[in-house]
Amino acid sequence: MSREARTAYAFLAPGLLLFAVFRLYPLLEGLRLSFTNARLGRAAEQWVGLANYARLVEDTRFHVSLWNTAFYTVASTLPILSVPLALALALNRGALRSLLRSVFFFPFTLSVVTVGLAWLWLLDPVVGPFNYYLRALGGPARSWLADPQTAMWAIIATTVWWVTGYYLVIYLAGLQDIPRDLYEAAALDGASAGRSFRAITLPLLRPVLLFVVVTHVIGSFQLFGQVFVLTGGGPGDATRTVVQHLYETAFQNFFQFGAASAMAWVLFALILFFSVLQFRLLSGHPEH
Amino acid sequence: MGSVRRRVDGKRLALTAALLALAVFWLSPVAWMVATSLKPTEDIVRLPPEWIPWPVTGAHYREVLVGSSRTARVGRAFANSLAVATGSVILVLATSALAAYPLARMRFRGRDLVFAVLVGSLMIPNAVLLVPQYVLVQKLGWLSTYQGLIVPEAAMLFAFGVFLLRQFFITMPRELEDAARIDGAGPWQVFSRIVLPLSQPVLAALAIFAFRSAWNDFLWPLIAVNKPDMFPLPVALALLRSAYSSDSYGPIMAGAALSALPLLVVFVVANRRIVEGVRLSGLKG
Repeated sequence: MSREARTAYAFLAPGLLLFAVFRLYPLLEGLRLSFTNARLGRAAEQWVGLANYARLVEDTRFHVSLWNTAFYTVASTLPILSVPLALALALNRGALRSLLRSVFFFPFTLSVVTVGLAWLWLLDPVVGPFNYYLRALGGPARSWLADPQTAMWAIIATTVWWVTGYYLVIYLAGLQDIPRDLYEAAALDGASAGRSFRAITLPLLRPVLLFVVVTHVIGSFQLFGQVFVLTGGGPGDATRTVVQHLYETAFQNFFQFGAASAMAWVLFALILFFSVLQFRLLSGHPEH
Repeated sequence: MGSVRRRVDGKRLALTAALLALAVFWLSPVAWMVATSLKPTEDIVRLPPEWIPWPVTGAHYREVLVGSSRTARVGRAFANSLAVATGSVILVLATSALAAYPLARMRFRGRDLVFAVLVGSLMIPNAVLLVPQYVLVQKLGWLSTYQGLIVPEAAMLFAFGVFLLRQFFITMPRELEDAARIDGAGPWQVFSRIVLPLSQPVLAALAIFAFRSAWNDFLWPLIAVNKPDMFPLPVALALLRSAYSSDSYGPIMAGAALSALPLLVVFVVANRRIVEGVRLSGLKG
């Protein structure tokens, strides 16, 4: 082995050790556990083949959590794509932009628990300001988080508020990379603002849009914190998510590690499937 | 010409005004949280909503910081979070800087494979590792310890740190490193005396990113810690909520406001770096 190679391995060793023990090993160990009946404190766990996966086919609560997670992912994608994009277009130039960017970014520095608590209080059915002003405007005040029709939408609104700043920064970076003279040329040709948005901005932002969608979908499939704080999965099971179901199976309900690991791998497979699908659909070169 | 210009300016002005209004609206959940935390209990539930607390009291902050019988002390949780976030920042910076340097600059077998595995691992959802990581940490006897929070957190960010720093190292001019080598400096000296000092901006961006991630993490500490004295802030706050349920939002909002404080300070001091770190995180896609 050359001296350079020896040095390189020495530099890499601490990090790769950390990575191998706490990322790679757990990944494979999780797959193995999903084929066993492992539980906390069970000395001799047994190989059960696909039994954990077969049980998921019967587990109606798991189906409900999958459905809720899918609903959340689909319903939140459009606002998550468009709200930060609209803000980025408005804040790309103009007065006060750095102050305004900071304001919209700020919620992203908060923890999901802090965000959840703030919104819980804001949306309080009796004394929260949101319902107060809504009532004052003649709107339909109600218990947003306790109503199965609206609870998931309240969680989506909370999440949009929380993460908009993150995607705003990503979009702004993408917009800065678009050459200004393209817009000038389009303006000289008499193109309207809407036309140059469709013909220049959108096609050139495609890689950024792809990143935002994929990141959002990976995050959405793992929705947990907002639900834990805002609704606890309720009312009934109206906002129960896959990760919440996994968490309860593994840590609240007899520590069923084997069953929870099977859920984790179903989740992983779904995330991979949709990520690849999005790459297929959205990547590729803009027409111009 | 003049009227067109005025019309454009008028449009601009309207847009700025609309954005300012939206910004005020955007900050209202936080404003409401802070206002509530400063109100005497009897003022908290008063309608119409009072956005400016008067009279002001620090009683809720005192209660959560020093702790009453009902709460996991937020003061203690604050210190725990600080220790965990600091520890994981140091561990992430050290391991990922050391690993990124040879990946950017040296030739050795397996380099491309190592890098490909690290980048590929960015796609692993954390929720998938929850159970096996718990089993591992439990076997190590690390449940309810600082290392049980620090080490998995650092491992989670390691690959991203390597990716970020390697990109930066590649774009650095090689001349300074070559000159030091001609003067007889070994690889360690070149790395620690030349490369690291030149990388301060990207190291700062990574440090803030890692601090934010560790400070705010919720799901892992929720399962990896079961002693109230070891709870980090997000877990302590989530439990504060059930301790007070709805009879007083004062202490809950005081705890929530305290948890926002460190990153607010970092944000005001180093706004640019945070945004830079986030922007660079977008490159991983």
